[in-house]
Amino acid sequence: MATAAQTKFIRPDGKDKVTGLGRYTADLTMTGMLHACFRYADHAHARIRSIDTAKARALPGVFYVMTDKDVPDVRYGPFVEDRTLFARDVVRYEGEVVAAVAATTPEIAREAAALIDVDYEPLPVVSDVEAALADGAPLVHEGWSGYSASGDVVREGNDASRSTIVKGDVDAALASADAVVKERYVADMSHAVPIEPHAAIAQWQGDRVTVWSSTQVPYIARSGVATTLEIPEGHVRIIVPHLGGGFGGKCEFHYEAHVAALARATDRPVRLVFSRSEEFFAPDHRREGQVIELETGVMNDGTLVARRGRLILDNGAYSADAPFFPQLAAMHAVGPYRIPNVSVDASLAYTNTTPSGSVRAPTAPQACWAVEQHMDSVAASIGMDPVELRRRNILKEGDTTATNQVLEPIGAAETLERAVELIGYGKALPEDEAIGVGCGWWPSFGGPSGAFVKLNGDGSGTIITGAQECGTGAVMALPILVAEELGMRPEDFSILAQDTDAGGWDAGASGSQTTFNNGRAVIEAAREVRAQLLELAEEELEASREDIELVEGAARVKGSPTKSVPITTLADKAQGDRLLLGKGSGSPPPSPDVDASGCTGRLGMETFAAPTFITHAVRVRVDRETGVCRVLEVAASHDCGVILNPVGAEGQVEGGVVMGIGMATLEGSIVGEDGRQRNPHLLDYKLQTSADAPPISIAFVDAPSPYGGPKGSKGTGEPPCVPTPGAIGNAIAQVTGARVHQLPMTPERVWAAAHGVDA
Amino acid sequence: MTRGTYLEPASLDEALRLLAEHDGAALVAGGTDLVVGTRQGKRTLPETLVAIHRLPGLDGIAEEDGALAIGALATHDAIERSELVRGRWTALADASAIVGSPATRHVATLGGNLANASPAMETGAPLVVFGAEVELRGQGGSRTVPVEGLWAGPGRTTAAAGEMITGVRVPAPADGSGSAYVRLEYRRAMEIAVVGAAALVTIGAGAVSDARVALTAVAPTIVRSPAAEGALRGREPTAEAIAAAAAAVHDAATPISDVRGSDAYRRAMIEVMARRAIDVAARRAAGEAVPIPATMTVGGTR
Ligand SMILES: Cc1cc2nc3c(=O)[nH]c(=O)nc-3n(C[C@H](O)[C@H](O)[C@H](O)COP(=O)(O)OP(=O)(O)OC[C@H]3O[C@@H](n4cnc5c(N)ncnc54)[C@H](O)[C@@H]3O)c2cc1C
Repeated sequence: MATAAQTKFIRPDGKDKVTGLGRYTADLTMTGMLHACFRYADHAHARIRSIDTAKARALPGVFYVMTDKDVPDVRYGPFVEDRTLFARDVVRYEGEVVAAVAATTPEIAREAAALIDVDYEPLPVVSDVEAALADGAPLVHEGWSGYSASGDVVREGNDASRSTIVKGDVDAALASADAVVKERYVADMSHAVPIEPHAAIAQWQGDRVTVWSSTQVPYIARSGVATTLEIPEGHVRIIVPHLGGGFGGKCEFHYEAHVAALARATDRPVRLVFSRSEEFFAPDHRREGQVIELETGVMNDGTLVARRGRLILDNGAYSADAPFFPQLAAMHAVGPYRIPNVSVDASLAYTNTTPSGSVRAPTAPQACWAVEQHMDSVAASIGMDPVELRRRNILKEGDTTATNQVLEPIGAAETLERAVELIGYGKALPEDEAIGVGCGWWPSFGGPSGAFVKLNGDGSGTIITGAQECGTGAVMALPILVAEELGMRPEDFSILAQDTDAGGWDAGASGSQTTFNNGRAVIEAAREVRAQLLELAEEELEASREDIELVEGAARVKGSPTKSVPITTLADKAQGDRLLLGKGSGSPPPSPDVDASGCTGRLGMETFAAPTFITHAVRVRVDRETGVCRVLEVAASHDCGVILNPVGAEGQVEGGVVMGIGMATLEGSIVGEDGRQRNPHLLDYKLQTSADAPPISIAFVDAPSPYGGPKGSKGTGEPPCVPTPGAIGNAIAQVTGARVHQLPMTPERVWAAAHGVDA
Repeated sequence: MTRGTYLEPASLDEALRLLAEHDGAALVAGGTDLVVGTRQGKRTLPETLVAIHRLPGLDGIAEEDGALAIGALATHDAIERSELVRGRWTALADASAIVGSPATRHVATLGGNLANASPAMETGAPLVVFGAEVELRGQGGSRTVPVEGLWAGPGRTTAAAGEMITGVRVPAPADGSGSAYVRLEYRRAMEIAVVGAAALVTIGAGAVSDARVALTAVAPTIVRSPAAEGALRGREPTAEAIAAAAAAVHDAATPISDVRGSDAYRRAMIEVMARRAIDVAARRAAGEAVPIPATMTVGGTR
């Protein structure tokens, strides 16, 4: 493959970050800056009778107290316009912003926020998804039918988005199956938990505002500010300093407009920095809880014949980007298997809890955790080894999916074989250990993306991109692709990114799409520069461009290496009257055909473009007496197309595996009947620590995709999160003999299942 | 508006004087409870802080007249590494070695752990089984209380206003003793005990001549289990005898339900932890070198 495939590229921003020199949004200070603090709802569901801000305004040091009355009357939301910047009449979850204060210090702002008097009439709290969809349930949004929404969203009452996938005749196939297994699984809410909390600073110059924000999606944040404050998009500039991780938690437009409105009202720069607990309950981007019911028919030879599924996903109080989740979760409820008869029905229930949104591979780890445990149960029902059951049903080239997408060459089966081989499946183990296996899949997201490449007079280059670096290293690695086109070195390029006034539009650091789409954009931009260099070289070398190559920093005549001119010379010549400047967006790859006529609520997920396939095998030890389990070893095999940067890809897999272990064993929010999270802090929302991380061995399966990104690559950021919890669940069940039906599989739940106790 | 006074006395006497002079002043040593608790909104920061972490002479770990004398400012890291503690007061090393993370252990002190009076504190149960005494000093002089007498309830001590802990005196266990502390933890670092148990077992002529068992995070303070101790005395330390003793801890355990675990789970788990602690203590009494911290050998996250 291309030389890029061999490149082991170490990101240049790493040293600043680990030595504390990196500057994040919360590190920035502006002259005259004020500090913002929010007053949140005191109830998960209540009608606001009155808000009295007099005491807060009277506090010395307070510049402004803002409520719904101070901002334009605008509803917004990416699929359903169901929300406003500040609570209006009704609060629907504990983290809803009722008012905002700008004051000279964070302490004064906090004190003032607490002094705001809000009089509420409490309303019934809907905190359970099944109760939300029951007949006669109180509506979270009385006026839901009046909200404007994307026409493709199917909604009704508390069901904010419903999707179905139907293929064949499930009833008949279940009736004729040799065995039928029916199970129910419940996944709790969890979170992205980036190390850097949300932060934003706004500063106006005339009628234009600049917002420095810890967002993963600067262009979407720009639109959000423009829409909600009713100002032209061109008057809003979003700049993202170093971003301290996001994992989806910083996707969507969040608090940039609140801070901009406060800055405009006070004629001062205003900064907002979240505490760790706000990070849990306020932003509309937590990983949603799910109730998953699965029924599968199988023949004695292991052939899967039917899958019925009913899923209810927790939307929380407002619709962020979650309306496409039901369809995505339905695809995961089928999984990467050939199943001729499918009927999956998935709903998104409004509840009075923190809104859901994309968190690294949204819906997949939870749904896959249920499906992969279910697969082991199905295998047990016919006395077959669980790996063998997967082997007989896993998708292969030419198979059709539940939406009749015919698959391109894929490496799903190879990932299964490589993972079980790496972990030594079948080897003798101590009696308290077992190996569990899980398979999963994930689509790539093609879309428009913009970049410029310019060469400077000294022969160095600058990549100006709309892409956002969220910590994955994807933007940091763009120079590999550009350098290869121009016969230069990656370190010859600087990157100007994360400034909406500079780069071309990009969807942001979401959907594993930075390399996939922006990689294509920079290659196209570099090709324009390449053409410009060749034109200059034609004159210098008196040769035609077909005979000139760009290698090792020079343009030279093919076959006669002595006839060459350094690119620095060409760049110097071009300086002044000829710009060496290229632009690119590149058409997104075509979408594979599907026949989703049996589906309702279609929001694009019927197509799994350039799908990645993943198998994780884990070795787990369970302390039967306490239910504590420890993941001792993980083998991860991925088909994510052609690997462009092995260091980066391996980093994604390692991080995703550890995140998956956290989700499997400990990470979950406990929500009270009052709709409030009871553990919104890191002592009791337990992440994995470096002391917990096991050795991880990785095998990539190269299966270049015709629908893929540069050089046949596929998305790599999200897939590593997908199958780990399911694999761990299977290992636990093998040790204890009892399946855990609730995620996270905490020690108490493992213990309760193993000892037949209700937990 | 928060505006505080931060005082850094140069001597113990000055510290005691400042503490007496400033109403509502609080001591701060490592700050790992005080500052973190304030940030979490558990309490408001006291108006005056008297910082003692640099006071000289209060961080010693030494043998005095056969007992172990530890200064209030000894860090968990120093305690964990002390050969003296590891050798004869092993349960205390087991406890200090699992506090927080390496960074926590380098600043967090024994005095702070005791004074914070959390029912989930790590060093409490080991000090109880050893029969430790705490030295409290105020401007009027000093007094000594048994460690169990220090705690008045969760987060509350019997120290008078103006009194500070200066050190702990831990009697030496009799010859033929072994001790251990084990906690139930969900991950391998940065944890808090869900429940925990310490045991001191003395063996003479093949039978248990003395036993002490103390429990962590199952009552408002660290508590002893007389029933478990009684069940062990005079018995051969067999697996059955140890299991029977552990099953007796319910006399002292009155756990609550919270986000870390239900009362039913905690009740079941305290028995498991007590059994493991007694077992390791008995093995150590018999001369077996069970590695420190015992939690990493016999706990769920091993
Ligand atoms: C990340 C993290 C993990 C932790 N993990 C654990 C754990 O695993 N196990 C555990 O038991 N604890 C744990 N803790 C709690 C804490 O670290 C310990 O309790 C520590 O020993 C407290 O000591 P300190 O010196 O930091 O106390 P400080 O925070 O300085 O003080 C705590 C309290 O004691 C008072 N005080 C301090 N010194 C004295 C004195 N000499 N006399 C009288 N009063 C005094 C202070 O006024 C304050 O009220 C953890 C804390 C953190 C932040």
